[in-house]
Amino acid sequence: MQLFVNIIVLASIYALIACGYVLIYRVSRVLNLAHGELMMLGAYLLLTVGSTFSGHPFIAIAVAVVLSACVGILVYVFLMRKMTGEMVLAAVLTTIALGILLRGLVVLIWSAQFQYPIKSLGFVNESIALPGGARVSTFAALIVLTAAVVYVSLFVFLRFGRWGVRMRAAGQSPLLAAQRGINLHAVYALAWSLSTLTGSLAGMLMALDSGLDATMIIIGLKAFPAALVGGLDSLAGALVGSLIVASAEVLLIHFVDPLLSDVVPFLVLIAMLFARPWGLLGTREELDRV
Amino acid sequence: MLARHLIGAAAAVALAAAGVLPASAQDAYLIGISGALTGPAAGTTAAPVEGLRIYFDRLNAAGGINGKQVKLIILDDGAEPSKAAANAKRLLTQDNVQLMVLSSFSSTFAPVSAEAKRANVPLLYMGSVCPKDVSPPADPNQFCTTAYILGYDSRAALDFVKAQAKEPVRIGFAAMAVPLSRAEVEYAEGHSKTLGMTPVGRENIPAPTADYTPFATKLQEGNPTWVFAYAPWVTQVRTFEAMRRLGWQGDYIAWGHIEAEPELARLKDPKFYVIGANSFFQDGLPVHREIADVAKKANAQYPPEQMTEGWIGGLVIEAALKKAGWPANPDKVREAMDAMKVDTKGLRGTSLEWTKTNHVRTQQSYRIYHWDPAKNAIVRAMDWKTYEVK
Repeated sequence: MQLFVNIIVLASIYALIACGYVLIYRVSRVLNLAHGELMMLGAYLLLTVGSTFSGHPFIAIAVAVVLSACVGILVYVFLMRKMTGEMVLAAVLTTIALGILLRGLVVLIWSAQFQYPIKSLGFVNESIALPGGARVSTFAALIVLTAAVVYVSLFVFLRFGRWGVRMRAAGQSPLLAAQRGINLHAVYALAWSLSTLTGSLAGMLMALDSGLDATMIIIGLKAFPAALVGGLDSLAGALVGSLIVASAEVLLIHFVDPLLSDVVPFLVLIAMLFARPWGLLGTREELDRV
Repeated sequence: MLARHLIGAAAAVALAAAGVLPASAQDAYLIGISGALTGPAAGTTAAPVEGLRIYFDRLNAAGGINGKQVKLIILDDGAEPSKAAANAKRLLTQDNVQLMVLSSFSSTFAPVSAEAKRANVPLLYMGSVCPKDVSPPADPNQFCTTAYILGYDSRAALDFVKAQAKEPVRIGFAAMAVPLSRAEVEYAEGHSKTLGMTPVGRENIPAPTADYTPFATKLQEGNPTWVFAYAPWVTQVRTFEAMRRLGWQGDYIAWGHIEAEPELARLKDPKFYVIGANSFFQDGLPVHREIADVAKKANAQYPPEQMTEGWIGGLVIEAALKKAGWPANPDKVREAMDAMKVDTKGLRGTSLEWTKTNHVRTQQSYRIYHWDPAKNAIVRAMDWKTYEVK
């Protein structure tokens, strides 16, 4: 039972991060390689806001969430917007540069010390007993819950929401979408905002669960194979991919060798690239476009 | 003509200020430092570099050594071997430093020590674990001031476990998947058998891990009464917390890195012990107050209790440069370091002494701290216990 819980928690972490990759790729065809850094920035924002609003943890979290969404918009407005119309590769390289910049800024501003946002917010991360003798920490349970809420909300939003439909339209054919009067810049900014928001939620919850330091970006990178395995243009795929990668990781840690946990996501990815390069639920033509 | 000279002088000053020109015009001692100021090891390795910097800022303000300033050239290697090698090459061949200092991951040791050897410049490990090369019979070019010594640390920790245990010990081990952490834990696992303990599991945990619970789950399955962790602080403490959340109630002993003191107070767990060779700031020694004052004045980025390693490095380098005299060169500095005894002012249990064949220290003392709920404070579980380093 504990193994099952471990898989679900890890899959939820990867799923929360992976949906950020998918959202931006699906709408703008850009691989955001600064997603791990943006996720980490969200967690550090919570740390700062938490000490500013000490005594009001829920206000602090709300402010940090709003700020994270704003960061996504700012990244688009001041950086990625200039890449519109350029080669996709140029946009991807821009995200790499952004990542390097953010990594440096985080160490400059917050230092390389290990930090605990939970302390300034005054929360306690109690262990929760589950049926079958399994246990899960409060914030790990919250990660699972948040991942579920985020995915349900995104499915509903993209299926029925006015802006969700616009996002899908912009993703399928930017030219036709623009001709129908859809403001592409607003759609892209929204995608960046949602992507940064979901990534930041993952970062914040992980930081609350077990602390925060600048190595969090590597976790962002480990979630990337989950998005690719599922199919880079499919939210459902990101969910399935996360579950596959997390299962492989947890089971290999337990039954084979913990050292494999570092390479498992990429092994799964390589296997998938051999069998079905466009991912489990991705569309073939998307891969051809890349 | 005058204008050309002025421009030339201005350019030289600018280049020297930028660290491009070697200050080998030699109006100052030159120390080159490659440190993991960013990256996965930075939590442990960046603060010692800052401690060293503020130590020499204070010393330079007071007139320097032998009437000369000490110039530190600090470069970030991000714990990456290739970057560390490039830093070493620059510091050794362009800046012509008289001493090379490394505060980084063990994966950077081989390339940096090779560069230092090629340039015939002594290499001091400060803030990163002491490699085997500095233990007797020591490599003539390598020295170490850092608190941890492979082999001895595990022996001291396991001796404590044995002394504490009231029942047969079933012991688990946690390491990070980096060379020295794994090597030490493998050694500890073997040594525990000679002490009559039963090893029940060993986890080598990769550096960045989203969730430590899968590793803790496996470690807990062996039902250990004790766990010994020897890894960077993050791995040690996250594994412990994950085990506690799984309901494990055993004792846990970890290496007391520079982050340990505030962390004991955060965890407030009486069964979480840290073993280390540095005294805690709660001991309130004059040297602790001195470090705290200097750190405050320098507006240091890291808390003073994380400066101890840098401060000890400063004490040792100061003694070496004093002994080497002026003008100094790498040979003179190495010769000075070959036979030296430095009073650590209570930061360590004993003086730090190097001999021609022992570049780690002749004696190593350990103290163990833990949280005492009755006193609501950190207390010593074991006072200085000294081992001869042979």
